[in-house]
Amino acid sequence: MTSDEGIVYDRSLLGVEHPIGSFKVSRDMITGFARSTGETKSIYLGDTDNLDDLVAPPTICNIFVNGVSRPDIKLKFGDMNFFAGQSIECKKDVRPGDTLNASTHLDNVYAKTGRSGKMIFAVWQTTFKNQNGDTVALVNESFVRRNRAK
Amino acid sequence: MSSGDIYFNDVELGDEIGPLTRTVSSDQVTGFVAVRDPDPPPSRFTSDKAARSEGLPSAIVPGAMNIAMMSQIVTGWSPTVSIKKIDVVFRQMVPHNEPLTLSGIVTDKDETGVSTSLECDIVMENREGVKLVIGHAEFTLPSRPQ
Amino acid sequence: MFLDLHTHSVASDDSRATVEQYIRWSSVLQNKGYRIDGFVLTEHRQFDHGLDYTDLSSESGLLILKGAELDTDCGHFLVYGVTKPLTDSIDFSDVNIDATKLVELCDDLGAIAIPAHPGRAGIGFAEYVSTRRAGFKTIGVVEGLNGSNRPGEGEKAALLIQQRGYLSTGGSDAHIVSAIGTCMTLFKDKITTEAELVLALRAGNYNPVMLESSKD
Repeated sequence: MTSDEGIVYDRSLLGVEHPIGSFKVSRDMITGFARSTGETKSIYLGDTDNLDDLVAPPTICNIFVNGVSRPDIKLKFGDMNFFAGQSIECKKDVRPGDTLNASTHLDNVYAKTGRSGKMIFAVWQTTFKNQNGDTVALVNESFVRRNRAK
Repeated sequence: MSSGDIYFNDVELGDEIGPLTRTVSSDQVTGFVAVRDPDPPPSRFTSDKAARSEGLPSAIVPGAMNIAMMSQIVTGWSPTVSIKKIDVVFRQMVPHNEPLTLSGIVTDKDETGVSTSLECDIVMENREGVKLVIGHAEFTLPSRPQ
Repeated sequence: MFLDLHTHSVASDDSRATVEQYIRWSSVLQNKGYRIDGFVLTEHRQFDHGLDYTDLSSESGLLILKGAELDTDCGHFLVYGVTKPLTDSIDFSDVNIDATKLVELCDDLGAIAIPAHPGRAGIGFAEYVSTRRAGFKTIGVVEGLNGSNRPGEGEKAALLIQQRGYLSTGGSDAHIVSAIGTCMTLFKDKITTEAELVLALRAGNYNPVMLESSKD
């Protein structure tokens, strides 16, 4: 990774865990997410007679996490933010009736250059646990900040 | 399990997964955003005007929707797939109403006998063959029943 | 020998491939009748002197070398023959390295700096080459074939090569396993070390190739 020297942001946030919130997973939420993303697998759509036969698609946690739920790192660079990448490690199935508790921390901030010029990346790690305290997903997200094209 | 099911024993390195073809309509994006927020304000995802005000040429598909579609390359391959991890890089913005091709290729397989884990590369391309999203997935398949 | 001169492993922030997976995939390619004799790991903005791929090389039969891809004020450069004196002289993590200084230092310290994907917008040498800067006279090689180019970028590189008479290399710019080998450099001479790679690149007995060309 690139040294983050010279990148101005709130470094006190690095590694500090922040609770994002508690989210109740409903059947409608799962099927709505599945249908809206073009899902065809019946176990994600609930298209069976067995009401228990519904599992959330592997990327369901994205319903609950968005930019406003993370602390502002006060990065002094750029005027455009984009989602740069994500990894989701699925540890346990998510089902209707689950309550997911999420917390996140800033893992890294670094610079690089690309077709659109200089960019600064902020990487967050988020953990989702269910009502039993079991980790259901580990999510790494990278957000990029750059300058608007002239 | 049906006759179309794929098992660990059936898979070789280099096996192709998919392709899927998708065209994400503006209505679909609106429907996706509404799952999170039933009454969202106009944004770069739902409004060309809002997107242009941010310097984008037109409204774009949310990254969360893109990774969901990327995961479907693998989970849609066979009912027997259990995805363990998906990891993607968004290299270029995905516009609405453009034909997309999503595909995968098996790149690794646990040959030790310890597990039935596999890995694959996954890619989303536009009609010019430009890779908009690239990534990697780890998944398992059951062993073929005796 | 067919060498992929531009690859990234998980050590690069945007790659999703391990070195071991590249080795296994190279074997898949060979089983399909393609030829790949080795690759160079050109990680973004870093070089780990402590990493030694000798064992992996000898087990796999592939030549596995190390280089780097650096961000400069004249686009990205691939650097081969990286030594401690070079990394002591240049901060590889800087995203705005003085390209003139980089090229000169490489020339002086037995390395070579080659513009990567020269036709790429914003980070391609073609946009900067016409600026009147000292030190670029010694650039004689650019990466002519890059497996991650978008439409138009390869053509822009080809035009630069034609106009300036540059020698040209090929590399996949792989960030995922299955991309390795998509573009390579075919060397007429055998190469076994990073130092020999530098000499071969300066000597000019090679040309860029697509994977298909390597098929028996």
